[in-house]
Amino acid sequence: MSVTEQKELLTKNKQTLENSSRRNFLKNLGIVGGGLVVGIPLTGCASVQLPNTMDSDLQPNALLQITANNDIYFYLPRSEMGQGVYTGLTTVLAEELDVHPGKIKVKNVGAHDEYANPEYGLQLTGGSNSIRTHFIPLRQMAANVRMVIRQAAAQELQLPLDQIQTDDGMIVANGKKWPYGAFSEVAAHLSLPEETPIKKKSDFKYIGKHSKRLDSVAKSTGSAEFGLDVEFAGLHRAALKRCPVLGGTVKSFDDSKAKSMPGVKAVVSIFNGVAVVADHYYQAKAALPVLDVQWELPETLSDFSSDSTEAGNGKQLFKDALDSDEADNAYQEGNGREALTTSDTVVSAEYWAPYLAHATMEPMNCTAKFTGDQLEIWTGCQNPGVAAKLAAFYGDVAKEDVTVHSTFLGGGFGRRIANDYVAEAVSIAKASGLAVQLIWSREDDTKHDYYRPATMAEFQIGLDKNGNIDSWNVKRSGPNILPYTMDEVADAMMPGFLPDGMVDWISKAGFSLFDGWTVDPTSVEGLFEDYDANHKSADHVTVDPGLPVGFWRSVGHSFSGFFKESMMDEVAILQQQDPVAYRLKHLKHNPRLANTLKLAAEKAGWGKPLPKGHYHGVAVHSSFLSYVTEIAEVSVNNGQINVHKVTCVVDCGLAVNPEIVIQQMESGILFGLTAALYGEITVKDGAVVQSNFHDYPMLRMHESPDIEVVIVESDEAPTGVGEPGLPPIAGAVGNAIFAATGRRLRSLPLKLS
Amino acid sequence: MISFKLNGQTVNVDAPGDTPLLWVVREHLTLKGTKFGCGMGLCGACSMLIDGVSSRTCIMPVQAVANRNITTIEGIGNPQMMSTLQNAWVETDVPQCGYCQSGQIISATALLSQNNNPSDNDIDIAMSGNLCRCGTYPNVKKAIKRAAADLRKGKGRLQVVQVFDPTANASPETQGVQS
Ligand code: FES
Ligand code: FES
Repeated sequence: MSVTEQKELLTKNKQTLENSSRRNFLKNLGIVGGGLVVGIPLTGCASVQLPNTMDSDLQPNALLQITANNDIYFYLPRSEMGQGVYTGLTTVLAEELDVHPGKIKVKNVGAHDEYANPEYGLQLTGGSNSIRTHFIPLRQMAANVRMVIRQAAAQELQLPLDQIQTDDGMIVANGKKWPYGAFSEVAAHLSLPEETPIKKKSDFKYIGKHSKRLDSVAKSTGSAEFGLDVEFAGLHRAALKRCPVLGGTVKSFDDSKAKSMPGVKAVVSIFNGVAVVADHYYQAKAALPVLDVQWELPETLSDFSSDSTEAGNGKQLFKDALDSDEADNAYQEGNGREALTTSDTVVSAEYWAPYLAHATMEPMNCTAKFTGDQLEIWTGCQNPGVAAKLAAFYGDVAKEDVTVHSTFLGGGFGRRIANDYVAEAVSIAKASGLAVQLIWSREDDTKHDYYRPATMAEFQIGLDKNGNIDSWNVKRSGPNILPYTMDEVADAMMPGFLPDGMVDWISKAGFSLFDGWTVDPTSVEGLFEDYDANHKSADHVTVDPGLPVGFWRSVGHSFSGFFKESMMDEVAILQQQDPVAYRLKHLKHNPRLANTLKLAAEKAGWGKPLPKGHYHGVAVHSSFLSYVTEIAEVSVNNGQINVHKVTCVVDCGLAVNPEIVIQQMESGILFGLTAALYGEITVKDGAVVQSNFHDYPMLRMHESPDIEVVIVESDEAPTGVGEPGLPPIAGAVGNAIFAATGRRLRSLPLKLS
Repeated sequence: MISFKLNGQTVNVDAPGDTPLLWVVREHLTLKGTKFGCGMGLCGACSMLIDGVSSRTCIMPVQAVANRNITTIEGIGNPQMMSTLQNAWVETDVPQCGYCQSGQIISATALLSQNNNPSDNDIDIAMSGNLCRCGTYPNVKKAIKRAAADLRKGKGRLQVVQVFDPTANASPETQGVQS
């Protein structure tokens, strides 16, 4: 583009900024009050360079607003679910805007394409990529804004630009100070510069230093609003009776008793069950037991029982698949499996991980209200964009007529990527003609999840005559997640229904990352990448009993971290080598992971005496572009596993908010420890057996270990922290149990009896 | 009509006697700080102080609290005026998703009202009824110790908000207020 063309576009863009459609647009986003409003076209921004903000086709988009009152609003494009983006992204923005993060007012946003995740093209929060993908674009945008405010000040004060400095939200010139807001109006009429230089690390004031969470006060006083807290006049509560076997539908129902229960306003049948709408939740819930529903059961899943030992059922289904010749190749390096024929020794073992529920503390819920053809929904979810489209479909309204009000999420962990509760709430509101808040009970939540897929895998590790790994081969059997993700949107069964970007996103995940793969990458991720070997192969055989599966914190890594690290331990011990030293030997091509291992061994005192009866186990794993080592200190008494301490070293590049990185490591470790020690969802005749925290227990405070987290100093770009803390923990504990007892536990959850 | 004291004010509620206190407070009185997590007394998200004792209100029939003193998170402090524990919570950056935190703070308040120098074990015992799926336990522990140290030095108090005005937020079922 020539300079003249650029100038033309600048002018055009300026006009766009001023015209009324933009104002409407901003109003639709819930942004009112004027002042300087800026957005960034994050969409499709795969490289670190900002796309041309002056592109004439640019839809205005809005992330930042500075009012004449000097209120600085940041419209948070990602969902805050505990992982800390509310603080993290604000810190990133604040750095280049030169304002203390605490002075920025952060708003949860509704659904709009402009809030798309740069990597997915969807308004999705997941995959531990929020900080990584916004790190440069947000800073560039903020730097441009700071520049335009300086330019406005220069114009107004009639001073050269270089005499206009900034300090914590103030313009500083001639020894005087003015708030940014004093120039916001003028700045709004200037063209936004594009490529203002961004700061060097050595100039950072907040990045790497600021750690105070900006949502702590609200969350410590009960004033943070979650989906369940939504309230307005005329709101009714709904409870839904769903088929015990997931995927079942209503054949017939008798609501005569339920209708006469106190407070009940309506009983309606929707796509997956029968709902009771009442004045209060306890009334709706009380009516469910007297609601008589006959179900049309889904065939495949109804025949499945976890404890069945029959061929083609239970674990045997996975085992048969693994033992069959069938397999799709997911990865091949060197001669792959063929190299086994020339190995000196082959070490094999088979591992198992069960289905798991997410069990977010806040059960699923959604509030829906129709006003004529307008539909509003309130929910905390990980992808408001898909929620809006689902709502439009189930509400039978145009997508433009749907408004999403986002709240904080009482935990996400991947569960709130699916929006089944949105489809349900909208369907109930539509059928009953009432504004409803659908509340899931804990039992609903446990029994109607998109579960972490159960998985079986077999390793065959070929060793050379020196006992070093020559070939690393693994085969996995289990369900793929992608079809279920697609299912939610494809459920609507209309061609135009797929959200823009979804198709892209899927092909991206499938192909741009791993060229030529035919397997859902999350099915095999983490099973084979970390260690050096001359030959590698990863194979996959799909087997699926039909229980819906989804993204569960760290996804494939949630099982592969355990499998791979237990296997590595087996090999090291068989070779009578120290597990740390043997791992280091095979991490020559993975120096950052090796470094975390060295540091962790040092920190934990690996090889040094421990209290009597205590043993160390180690595991390393890289995921979401971060590198983590964990060393668990464990004792076993009468079959009881006690985890005393976990030492964790993480290399996540530059840590934007170091304390939040530590929190996220602790969080991942405790989440993973719950899975390692207790987590198991089983199925009987197609129905999930577990129901609440008594039979699907969570780690409690007295069971949680001391945790020490060390962050590797790094100048590399920031990478994920929400998930990478989880994958190593089960392996570290399992390996410590082996050290303590000589027993190798190859199934999760870890049980000695 | 059942009457009890909520955050210092008497409230009268027209709800069946077996209605769990949690839903009376959340839906009839529209105080949303106390959360619903399990409905079986297993997670502690619904904790309120009943005469100073941290209690699971999802299984507490409202008739059982007639004429008793109930304190919710809103009665502990608010963003403008936080209790010592809430300050320690913010200083320690305890909350992650935040959903369990009202319950955690209620249980910690009950603990510190009895013991201003709790050991790790005392904390474990007092807090074992409060689940946190995000794994904030290490910071919960730190914050409790920090608040206890402040209280021992005579800094701050366990409860700063005494009065709740349900008329400000009343739903139709709220039948008036007596002091
Ligand atoms: S909701 Fe009351 S203990 Fe869980
Ligand atoms: S902070 Fe999320 S459940 Fe405790």
